[in-house]
Amino acid sequence: MSKEDLRTERPRSWRDSLGWVVMPIVLLAIWQIAAVWLNEPWIFPPVTRVLEELVHPFREHYASGSLLSNTLVSLLRVLLGFLLAAVAGVTLGIVMGSIRAVRTGFEPIVEVLRPLCPIAWLPFAIAVFKLKTLPQLFGVQYTRTIFDRLQLGMIFVIFVGGLFPVLTNTLDGVAGVRRNYLLLGQTLGATRRQTFLHVYLPAAMPMILTGLRQGLGLCWFVIIAAEMMTGSDSGIGYLLMYASDNSAMDIVIAAMLIIGCVGALLSFAMRRVMYGLVRWHGKEI
Amino acid sequence: MAPSETRHQQREKPIALELRGVSKTFRSDTGAEVRALDRVNLVVREGEFVTLVGATGCGKTTLLNLIAELDTAEEGYLDLGDGLRFGDNIAHVFQHYTLFPWRTAISNVSFGLQMRRVSRADRRARATELLARVGLAGFENAYPHELSGGMRQRAAIAQALAIEPKLLLMDEPFGAVDDSTRTELQQMLTDLWQENQTTIIFVTHNIDEAIVLGSRVVVFSERPGKIVCEFEIDLPRPRDRMTEEFTKLFMRIRTTLSGQLD
Repeated sequence: MSKEDLRTERPRSWRDSLGWVVMPIVLLAIWQIAAVWLNEPWIFPPVTRVLEELVHPFREHYASGSLLSNTLVSLLRVLLGFLLAAVAGVTLGIVMGSIRAVRTGFEPIVEVLRPLCPIAWLPFAIAVFKLKTLPQLFGVQYTRTIFDRLQLGMIFVIFVGGLFPVLTNTLDGVAGVRRNYLLLGQTLGATRRQTFLHVYLPAAMPMILTGLRQGLGLCWFVIIAAEMMTGSDSGIGYLLMYASDNSAMDIVIAAMLIIGCVGALLSFAMRRVMYGLVRWHGKEI
Repeated sequence: MAPSETRHQQREKPIALELRGVSKTFRSDTGAEVRALDRVNLVVREGEFVTLVGATGCGKTTLLNLIAELDTAEEGYLDLGDGLRFGDNIAHVFQHYTLFPWRTAISNVSFGLQMRRVSRADRRARATELLARVGLAGFENAYPHELSGGMRQRAAIAQALAIEPKLLLMDEPFGAVDDSTRTELQQMLTDLWQENQTTIIFVTHNIDEAIVLGSRVVVFSERPGKIVCEFEIDLPRPRDRMTEEFTKLFMRIRTTLSGQLD
């Protein structure tokens, strides 16, 4: 009765995993040969130089910190901003999707702000929040930890970046909830609040999770760009830019590889969560 | 028990639902009007099992939707009996989308109790009991997509019964299952009705089903939807389709319905 579900990722077989092993090895080999032959390491460093950086993630680079510490700063900023975007996006999406008046009221604002690149918010965010950090918001000047790197302006930009994918997907998910499920809930005695929690939310869950996955991906995109802008003092994007200014292309490429791998891991993690949460999806009856 | 006695007792029972001169017209996008219901009068007493039979598209579902407040009539009166309230003690079983696909069978059956803030332990116990009653013991943790069409309707009935309804509205609930499953479900529903004496209004286009289940069969004509006749059914349960009385009744209803088509 249930139709074949094409949207949910199934666990891969070892044969499918070959792409993750064979192709990178081939590419790395071509890269190494080409780099050695060109012999211009400040433009095109050999694999060995990049790997050398990657296996020493704690090595401090000038005043900007290590690959690892900067990656952690970026990740922490993203997770914090994304968390805020997820809560706000899902809540607003459900309210907008289910109450027509709220939807018509907010739609123009959303439609204008949505196409705006989140990076465009950065100068404004920095002007508003100065360089205030999260601990300072709670009255602590310096914690001498990674938390001192959590500038509110950065987190705000991440928040904006994640908000719209989450919001629009949730909105579509909620607006697409079958009327029958709402009627069923109501005849079984669900109040308005219970209908939100027990009908709208679970029915829209597949779309909400799609939005969250897109949102997290975009947040990771945005943080790298934001950290490359002036006014930034840390993060993997900052390190990438800093290394570039110092002609350290091996560090630049190492940072690029890290950014790609972390992004892939985030996406993979979200997929696993989705697969577990909405096994029923695509099998509606 | 003589048939006249049964009828007499029915009449003394309080009214669960009364419709007087209820009409409903739909307007299509092109402006064409379709009279779905035309001055429908119907009185249903507590404990009755009323089956509404008629051709597909004759307004039976519209009538059920009016009763369930999913739609509003433009003419006439619709009165519910004392203590009958929506979202409280009136349950509705549909043909499709009768269960929440994201909830397991037991969680679907517990839904109404969860909305009433019954404790988790109590509602699980009650849902387990109901699932066993409809023949789904062992399927507590199955998702709707893992159940067959007949099993889903069983679960949907258990879900409706969990809120202990005083009025049960059923809109072709067995319309999408195969014949043998349908017979099983009819038997189960008959047993449940005899145990609980819940008032049931059951819509079907299947004459056989209407006679097997109903204590009264109400025959609907097509466009405009109108009640053309009613039959009190005193045949003993479980009902034997092979008896002469059953066949006679079947033919009468069929003649009435096909007469409407001419």
